[in-house]
Amino acid sequence: MSIKKLLEEYTPEELAESFVFPVKLTARQKKEADIQLQEARAKTQSEMTEKGRLVSRLLQLRFRLEDYLNKKDFDAGLTFSYFLKEYVNLVSKKRKDFAKEISIDETLLSQFINMRRMPPDYMAIRLELHSNKIIPAEYWYRLVEKEREHQIKTDTNLRKKEMKYVHSTLAVAV
Amino acid sequence: MEIIELSGRLKRPAVINEVEEEDFRGLTKKRYSFNWKPLKEVAAVYKLQIAGEDDILGVMGLTDTPEEKRIQIKLLACSVENQGKNKIYEGIAGCLIAYACRIAKIKYGYLACVSLVPKTALKTHYINKYDMVDAGWQLYLEGEQLNNIIVKYL
Repeated sequence: MSIKKLLEEYTPEELAESFVFPVKLTARQKKEADIQLQEARAKTQSEMTEKGRLVSRLLQLRFRLEDYLNKKDFDAGLTFSYFLKEYVNLVSKKRKDFAKEISIDETLLSQFINMRRMPPDYMAIRLELHSNKIIPAEYWYRLVEKEREHQIKTDTNLRKKEMKYVHSTLAVAV
Repeated sequence: MEIIELSGRLKRPAVINEVEEEDFRGLTKKRYSFNWKPLKEVAAVYKLQIAGEDDILGVMGLTDTPEEKRIQIKLLACSVENQGKNKIYEGIAGCLIAYACRIAKIKYGYLACVSLVPKTALKTHYINKYDMVDAGWQLYLEGEQLNNIIVKYL
């Protein structure tokens, strides 16, 4: 579609709100464009602050979490423990200091990180507050729920153990 | 992510997904301004829809240059009824651009970049509307500007 034709109908502002048009550059123009972009980005990157980098890393973690939560399948590598460890690493805190900031014992934090204990609900809230709401509590909560759901679906030992408590089953099946 | 239905200023939840093979039949030049089928050979094509509805309101083609940690918007169009002053929904292009930023952010972290080559007549409008940075032939979003558009639209 020709932009000239569209400009008869729409203002440039309206077009910018509806389109990115294909633009063909010559080899020489492309080379020039690449150099210009490289130089401009070098300047932008040199002006990035530590706070800006932290926001970027938090958003990256948030989106990785979102994408995982939106997938149906459970991934044993993407547990609450894994994401908590990632979070503690990206905020560049020693475990001891981080534990103090969210008022839990360092040992308890290690138990969460090493998958030796499932986190209570207050952990999701404290992590949301600590991240200044960049990573919502519901994401941490859903992460734990996803893990629990997988556990309950696949725990054959628990099924064997509980069998003795069920004295009768319904005479129907589907 | 939300777009705004202008008639009643209603916010409608939107979703963006990759275009599926069967969608291309409906992506006509008449309604989506360009021939989208050839683009799928060279770019990943995404569609914006209202959550739970089938109608496609906007389409975007992206290429990835991993060695530069950069995603380029090759092509973007809102459906014909969502162009100009009489459009039904506002924010379609903004959500699509922000989604490109989200993809770049996941892949490249704080060095993520989204760029496009603008038509000269539209350059200042992309800068004003999306806070894009001028790099001569190209415009781009990186760092704070990229984070801001994500927070605004997603």
